[in-house]
Amino acid sequence: MASKEEVFTGAKDIINQLAVIIRTAAIHDPGNVAVTTAVDKFVALMNPLIASEGELTLELGGEFFYINETRIRYSLEYLPNFDFLIREFKKRGLGSIVFKSIMKGADMQTFLKAFISSIFSQSPFETLSEDMAGVHSMSVGKLRKVRDEAEGEFDIRREVKKSYFNAVSYTRGVINKIKSGEKIGIKKAKRVVEGMVDLILEEEQLLLGMTAIKDYDEYTYHHSVNVSILSVALGQRLGLSKKILTELGLVALFHDIGKIEIPNEILNKPTNFTDDEWVIMKKHPFWGVRALLKLRGFDATSMRSAIVAFEHHMNYDFSGYPKTRKRFELDFYSKIISLADQYDGMTSSRVYSRIPMSPDRALSLMMERAGKQLDPILFKFFINMIGVFPVGTLVMLDTKELGLVYQSEAMFLDRPKVLVILNGKGEKADSYIVDLTEKDSNGNFLRTIVKTMDPNKYKINLAEYLL
Amino acid sequence: MELLEDIKAAKDVVNALLKAKKTFRMYPETNPMYEKTIEDAYAKFRSFFDYRDELKLKIKQNELFCDSEQVYHNTQKEDNIALFFFKDGLREITFKKGFSHKELEEFLKILTVDYDREVVDDDVVTLLWERDFHNIRYVVDESFLAEDEDYETSAVKEARDKAPEADELARAYADAFKEEGVKDISIVPLTDKDLHTLVKELEKDAYNKMDKLLIIIFEMLYQAESKSDHEDVVHFLNDAVEFSIRHGDLETVIRIMEMTKEVTDGPSVPDDIKKYLGLVFSFLGSDAEIKLLGEFLDSGVEIEEKVFDEYVRFLDKNAIQPFITILGELKTIPARKNVINALIALGKKDIQSLAKGLYDSRWYVVRNIIYILGKIGDKKAVDYLIKTVNHSDIRVRKEVIKALGELGTSGVLQTLKECLDDPEVQIRTSTARALGNIRSAAAKSIILQRMADKNFNKNDFNEKKEFYEVLSRWKDNDVIEFLMKILKKKAFFGRAVNDENRACAAYCFGLMGCKEALPLLYKIRDSQNKLLREYAYTAIKRIEYGQ
Repeated sequence: MASKEEVFTGAKDIINQLAVIIRTAAIHDPGNVAVTTAVDKFVALMNPLIASEGELTLELGGEFFYINETRIRYSLEYLPNFDFLIREFKKRGLGSIVFKSIMKGADMQTFLKAFISSIFSQSPFETLSEDMAGVHSMSVGKLRKVRDEAEGEFDIRREVKKSYFNAVSYTRGVINKIKSGEKIGIKKAKRVVEGMVDLILEEEQLLLGMTAIKDYDEYTYHHSVNVSILSVALGQRLGLSKKILTELGLVALFHDIGKIEIPNEILNKPTNFTDDEWVIMKKHPFWGVRALLKLRGFDATSMRSAIVAFEHHMNYDFSGYPKTRKRFELDFYSKIISLADQYDGMTSSRVYSRIPMSPDRALSLMMERAGKQLDPILFKFFINMIGVFPVGTLVMLDTKELGLVYQSEAMFLDRPKVLVILNGKGEKADSYIVDLTEKDSNGNFLRTIVKTMDPNKYKINLAEYLL
Repeated sequence: MELLEDIKAAKDVVNALLKAKKTFRMYPETNPMYEKTIEDAYAKFRSFFDYRDELKLKIKQNELFCDSEQVYHNTQKEDNIALFFFKDGLREITFKKGFSHKELEEFLKILTVDYDREVVDDDVVTLLWERDFHNIRYVVDESFLAEDEDYETSAVKEARDKAPEADELARAYADAFKEEGVKDISIVPLTDKDLHTLVKELEKDAYNKMDKLLIIIFEMLYQAESKSDHEDVVHFLNDAVEFSIRHGDLETVIRIMEMTKEVTDGPSVPDDIKKYLGLVFSFLGSDAEIKLLGEFLDSGVEIEEKVFDEYVRFLDKNAIQPFITILGELKTIPARKNVINALIALGKKDIQSLAKGLYDSRWYVVRNIIYILGKIGDKKAVDYLIKTVNHSDIRVRKEVIKALGELGTSGVLQTLKECLDDPEVQIRTSTARALGNIRSAAAKSIILQRMADKNFNKNDFNEKKEFYEVLSRWKDNDVIEFLMKILKKKAFFGRAVNDENRACAAYCFGLMGCKEALPLLYKIRDSQNKLLREYAYTAIKRIEYGQ
């Protein structure tokens, strides 16, 4: 009999194998040996687990699969199959499959036929459900919206906002303590990052949205938190464990700690740096190592933090700074944090560039840098995460409505939620949110983005609309 | 009525947790009490789950509630389980019916951590979060994490206030019809090769980060601009050394020292930098680091001899005194053996420092130092060793006599000669052996002189036998003549003692393999004295067959 641990260790295999049989059945006839072999393998995998658990529910919630209410962690090697299955479930409005008792290969064959044919139906889930009526060992459930009511959405946004500002407030406090020479522990920092990790797992796009607003007086602290959020989100896409994500988030939070030694008049200078000022700026990786090692001594996290503080401007091709005598490989965290740092830096008006870029322009530029300054593979993950239209992008819809991207949709990157600020007649009205994945009765999308523009160019204050 | 029963069961659970919190601190996992504590607590949970599917405890500063019923109350700070949860922001904890034995054990371990220790970077909530219990849910108040409660309000206001007097939405709207269409940020899909590369990189990422950090620290050294920069680098290298010793990673310590040495040996390195880096070598041999090393050596982890020797190679003579200190504190034989080997290597650099160990109050340390000085074999040690021949502990005296014998300078003879008068038989025999080790004519002369003394005959047979054994090392005429004389000697009075001496002489001839003695030995082979007969027989066999 399978133990509880075995059930959840095998969870990734369930997702993988289910994706494999659906892919195979979509190409071949159900009686084809490729399909029957895959089905037999799936049944052999599932039955011991069903026997052990009594009943096994595979459920899609948000962007994650759950088995008996336990979330299944992304696995890098199975990532394409995870994404494929989420997409196929969503297309059919399928929320769950309940394996109620030991099943036979024939039960699974029936499911596969029903699953594949349901896509051609006007109401895919209902069709699938009807076709499955005769199978007693399995049942299917409809996809539930994570938050059906506006009130619930409002609450979660409020929670995300609160966590974000708590993190910034903590960072401000801790950096001030470091500046004044106080010793700090990392218990609180861990808690702050753990909170962010939870939100990334549950509400990734909402938290990422918080990083889009840059109009704060004390942007340095927001930058640290933003880089931490972007790094954790990217790490989550890579399938890193919660514990590793926490370490990554902590390391990212302190990546710029060396800047505390840079005079404020340079750091907050409204114009571009002089050569001399650049010389000072380029010392902050060294100062970061010094600050971190003095602050914490040697432990796994401080060592990692010091490495990243040193490397985060070195670039993938070592074209950045500092230049070193000995060539070495960049740390994995450094590559992630460097991406997050560059993106947040480019899209803000305080760090490095005096002129902020629009998110889509920043991504375009980063794409040019991928493979040179930036790790090309990690960049692919990054762009998938941020979305083709990142939060805060000013967009014109085919309905002639003008709006700001409000929330990205992880599975449909080009169809985010948009906050409309000018209606179809170009009039300023009460803002309203539209979901670009919505279709009319003929199956056509109601709205599509036709143009993107830079909100900075038109002095649009994102905080006014998005906070 | 059932309501009261379930509340009572909830109270029992809390009490079981309290009890377990204490017991877990006292007993190791191998102790039967440890397992019994888990079993008892698990039984209480099971009893509760007979009434309900979940146990939800609301947490206040000094109280725990199940529903609205108080199930725990304590206003003291000590051993207050409510406060223990509350201070880290935990406000509610729920145990679900499936709560397993394994989960309970893990949960109890979390309860037992001493969170006030500076080295502990986790709190209760972090550990609950990391364990991700399947059957424990909890509610946390995170507001205490913010340094400034009003930060959100003020930051949002600031950001909103930055709105320009009038944005240019109308212009944006007009431009939207002129500007080019959507820029296509095409996403290159992830290939299997990409994923494979990433998996490899993740695997590689698990490796120790120290080597990378060392490169960075040395880079900081190369780019240092001030005295304080140099001091920082030394400080970090010292920390790296300490961290590695603490983790028993002597190989990394060796790498740190090699890198440091490489720099100090560099021809173009300024003297002041060399001086700073020299501090790292001193640090390696400091009291604290040697103490730490001792703890590691005592931990029972096996250390490759080659690695340890390499480690010792980087130690300076300042490590001698700390090693002497820990030598008396170590609990295991392999650890002491390693330290002795280290002192043998280091003592060569500074006999005087090592010899200070001879004044240690612990006899066993003094004995070890004598052994080490003997092994080093430096004649300079003699002057120090001679001073300990009158040590109050006989074990020390024996060791020093042995060491003096190994060193074998002419200066030790007079001291050894005096030791032959020691009232302790063990000292006298040790001295004889020491003289035997010296093998000089002068040493032989002292031995012969002592054996010729009429009082010598009165000594115990075994002591006399030891002396004869020592004498066998000089296979020369003086000795043969002396032995022959003994062997031939007849006595009317004290015949038993005389036969003992003859047996010893026969024994000595046997050890020497002296064929000249055979005729005489054949004669006494049939002696009426059993002892003499046996020793003569054995000696003949030895001489004839080399047995």
